[in-house]
Amino acid sequence: MAGQQFHDGQVDARIVRREEVARDHVELILESPALARAVPGQFAHILTPGMLRRPVSFSRIEPDSGRVGLLFQVVGEGTAWLANCQEGERLDILGPLGHGFAPPDPSRPWCLVGGGVGIPPLYSAAAQWRESAPDVIIGARTREWVLMQKDFEQLGLGVRVTTDDGSWGQAGTVIGPLQEWLEGHADGQVFSCGPTPMLAAVASACRGRAAAQVALEQRMGCGIGACLACVVPARGQTQMEYRRVCTEGPVFLAEELIW
Amino acid sequence: MVMDLHVSLPRGLTLANPVIAASGTFGFGPEYSRYVDIGSLGAVSVKGVSPEPWLGNPPPRVWETPMGLLNSIGLQNPGMEVFVRDDLPFLREKGATVIVNIIGHTVDEYARVASRMQGEAGVAALEVNISCPNIKEGGMSFGHDPEQAYQVTRAVRQATDLPVMVKLSPNVTSPALIAQAVEQAGADMISAINTVVGLAIDVEHRRPALGGTTGGLSGPAIKPIALRVVYDVAQSVSIPIIGMGGIASAADVLEFLLAGASAVMVGTVTFQHPGRMQQIIAELPQVLSRGGFRGVSGAVGQALPAASRPQTRGGDL
Repeated sequence: MAGQQFHDGQVDARIVRREEVARDHVELILESPALARAVPGQFAHILTPGMLRRPVSFSRIEPDSGRVGLLFQVVGEGTAWLANCQEGERLDILGPLGHGFAPPDPSRPWCLVGGGVGIPPLYSAAAQWRESAPDVIIGARTREWVLMQKDFEQLGLGVRVTTDDGSWGQAGTVIGPLQEWLEGHADGQVFSCGPTPMLAAVASACRGRAAAQVALEQRMGCGIGACLACVVPARGQTQMEYRRVCTEGPVFLAEELIW
Repeated sequence: MVMDLHVSLPRGLTLANPVIAASGTFGFGPEYSRYVDIGSLGAVSVKGVSPEPWLGNPPPRVWETPMGLLNSIGLQNPGMEVFVRDDLPFLREKGATVIVNIIGHTVDEYARVASRMQGEAGVAALEVNISCPNIKEGGMSFGHDPEQAYQVTRAVRQATDLPVMVKLSPNVTSPALIAQAVEQAGADMISAINTVVGLAIDVEHRRPALGGTTGGLSGPAIKPIALRVVYDVAQSVSIPIIGMGGIASAADVLEFLLAGASAVMVGTVTFQHPGRMQQIIAELPQVLSRGGFRGVSGAVGQALPAASRPQTRGGDL
């Protein structure tokens, strides 16, 4: 059908830069003042040739230049199509969507814990609230998938790196360094994003010791709360209930979810 | 030229145009209102409403297939009281024509929701969902047996004088037999089809991809199945049919009208293009005109065998 109409909350965003940041990982920089109003942790829901849009969290949010970054891993046909988009092309995006991170309390210690493609949204949080100078712990399976380390360092932040195979930083997962951080910092606050098993371990480590906000991934339909596809189990007032990653999330308090 | 998009349906139900948001794809109204003028749609069929809240199925709940979408939501909803309190006032305020999709585990539960909606300002019609493939008890089973379909339709009919449509499953040997049963039970309309039951496999984890194991397939992949059911049912009953299944354009709408539908529902494409229904409404006059029709009603059933074709007054096409 010719000439797709655009509506409030639907953005026609031009790709101004495309970079392959690692094997199977691409970052697109988009020009869109509307998207650049996003809160770290929110996401863009991107039209692809498939039946569903693809949700991608913002890696960069730059209101002054009106630009945002989307850093994603190629995992299927939709993201493969997205990775092949070129500079100058335009994307049909719904967003910014969802609830992002609540700002950190500057009077309390703050730590970012990211795994793999969960690292980029934490960078946008670090950049947005840089005066609160978080400690940064990032991990990946192997060296080349440790994303955005230099970007964090350019903000002047100390970065601890782990890899599953020991090819970069400390061998192991982010949980070891997080445990050490928790022991050294009372009343801390932790922002985390990564694979769900990693977030479950973060939630467990932080229980009773630090307030944790976690950004979740789930297979998503409409992206705006209508279809109830992207739910996760949460603690309701009297019993378990499902909450929508696209609307109540993607960022939840770790303690409100059932892991 | 002036094109008449109005649709006149039983019990005084009149739609400004034949494009209705399909239940389950459009939430309870507020969600899409940022992208769509919900008052400009023919109607909005809200997500299934039960007497008490339903939890729904475990995630993952959606899976893409070639030209299709498999879902296993499981009719999660907050229950009829929350719907009436939180969502119905919003729908009313936006001027939406509201069809309440009703669900239950038992005949009595369907009747309770029907009875609750009776007299509730802003409710234009009920859609009795006896065909969701994601509910193991009740729900789907009512739509698979003519006697049970009759019983639940009868109970709803006796609980309300609102216009009642019954939503049929394609996952039966003869949808026409079910259609005849619900017509005899007093249904004013049929809506068809609900999703086609299917399965996807998650190869990496060696298990069914959806948390609910099987799911319901929607999207363009099922359009031929839907057209076949509409075409068959249109020859088996005399009540109007609301057709759906994979509609994504005004041209698709005309196909369903010609196959015997009086109006249509649009669902899965909204996930890609929130504004598509309004676009279809805008483009429908041109598509009808190109087909040689002056209005929606003139196109209804014109692809049916001559004996089943609605009578048309000369020159009224």
